[in-house]
Amino acid sequence: MFPDAEKSLAAVAAEGLTKRYGSLTAIEDLSFSVAPGEVVGFLGPNGAGKSTTLRILAGTMAATSGRASIWGASVALDPAAAKRRMAYMPENNPLPEDLRVEEYLTLRARLKDVEPANVKARVAKVMEDCDLARRASGRLIGHLSKGFRQRVGIADALLAEPKVVLLDEPTIGLDPHQILGIRDLIRSLRGRMAVLISSHILHEVEQVCDKVVIINRGRLVAQGRPADLRRELRPAASFTVVAREEAAAVLAAARSLDPAATAEDAGEEDGWRRTRLLLPASSPALESLASGLALAGLRLREASEDRFGLEEIFLAATRRSPGERRRP
Amino acid sequence: MRHFRVLLLHELRCALLSGATWSVAALFLALMGAVHWFAVLECSRAPTPWTPTEGTFRLFWVPLLFILPLLTMRTFAEERRSGTLAALLTTPASATSVVWAKFLSTWTVWALLWAAFTAFPGLTEHRLGTPGDARLADPVALWGGLAFVLTSGLMHVAVGVLCSCITRNPALAALLTFIALLTLTAAGGAIDSLPIESWEWMGWLRDPADHLRTFGHLQDFASGVIDSRPLVLYATGTLLCLGLSVLALEGQES
Repeated sequence: MFPDAEKSLAAVAAEGLTKRYGSLTAIEDLSFSVAPGEVVGFLGPNGAGKSTTLRILAGTMAATSGRASIWGASVALDPAAAKRRMAYMPENNPLPEDLRVEEYLTLRARLKDVEPANVKARVAKVMEDCDLARRASGRLIGHLSKGFRQRVGIADALLAEPKVVLLDEPTIGLDPHQILGIRDLIRSLRGRMAVLISSHILHEVEQVCDKVVIINRGRLVAQGRPADLRRELRPAASFTVVAREEAAAVLAAARSLDPAATAEDAGEEDGWRRTRLLLPASSPALESLASGLALAGLRLREASEDRFGLEEIFLAATRRSPGERRRP
Repeated sequence: MRHFRVLLLHELRCALLSGATWSVAALFLALMGAVHWFAVLECSRAPTPWTPTEGTFRLFWVPLLFILPLLTMRTFAEERRSGTLAALLTTPASATSVVWAKFLSTWTVWALLWAAFTAFPGLTEHRLGTPGDARLADPVALWGGLAFVLTSGLMHVAVGVLCSCITRNPALAALLTFIALLTLTAAGGAIDSLPIESWEWMGWLRDPADHLRTFGHLQDFASGVIDSRPLVLYATGTLLCLGLSVLALEGQES
């Protein structure tokens, strides 16, 4: 999708970004990057500094220190170039109430330097992509539902086919059908545009993002691919073993595979004992645990690894102190 | 320049389609109609040293203080409050083009209101005038007065735009504009009224104060005298206010 020369360039680069309001530090020494064509989730608890960071990247707020750049153009020193390469949808998605959707998108296309001859076609394309064409194009924005307003915001972001799209909570307030639609739309951008999505809906981010950046209290606590973060942050591999034998027998069998294994009884169900088994995250026994337990003579019904999803990654990352963060 | 043109056309279109603009226009024309009617009545009762049109323009400060703030208050304050201004500034359009587009569109509306007012002297002349007597329409006073309100209007609208730029509250923007325009309009005359017995120690203030005499400017324009000093004053005042508006806009964080 991108020429080789552009692939080496970070689509979004935040280097040591700090924002202070008097004695209050909103973000501190925040550094991360987004590669061209990558979809990145920007996560953090409420008040962590996600929106502040996105505003700095979009150029609507100045950083106290640090450098933000969009496709190599400094947001502070060359804002016009940065703005030409980027589109930003703020959290509350402010829109003029008294314009019709098509009028608004046409105006925005002209302001975003879409070639005059292409304005009509681009507006029609994004309205089609965002499912606005049939049901909302002629309606006043002030009369639209929250879902359609969000679509208008996203359509606006995609109008000029920017290299970078910054979306602050794009699915907030949407119903499940609308969320699915927006998710598919974002997925379709992968490889064409770099997308940075701020969200606190972890499931949504897990569904669409290649990479996540997690901040807490204004500082970076983790960044990387969910699989890498899982390896990094998971303290131990957790399995649920359902067998006829007691937890002690399961533990004995597991220790024959890895002496560091620990176990705890998780109850009984129809004569089957449920045991929670913990193994070091780097244990070689992980790959063949089920067969190893069976070979040790256990009568197994089930042996499955407990999910360590983005929610657990997020909780583990936000629990640890910012000083322990992983450097890119 | 392309952004400026797009924004100007958009702002003009929004202004001309807005119910608020039409309400302000109705208020302006009702007010100026009443003022003109009273000026005609006054002239018909007894001989006056001024024509009805001149008399009406002498009260230019009434719409200036009470109508113009209603036009300028929404230019930025409303958009700042709703957040659409920040969204606008994420496009490649510069703060300068945004400020100039809003300024020129508001000034155009102000000019259109005064252009509509010119119908009143014409109607009065048509209905009440006697052939060969042009005093009711008084073209010199009419075109001179119009030139004055449009030229000074550049600075007055720029003051309103600046006031709207520094607050999120349109009502507060209107109040600030009212105070700033009242100060500007009254400044030249007010200095003369200060209870100062001797001007010697502040003689340096006399000349600048003379330049600020808004009513003197009106008199000059209405009698066909084009003095470059008020033109420079209004041009520099306009540029200063618009420059400060651009700075205020660029310095804002949303």
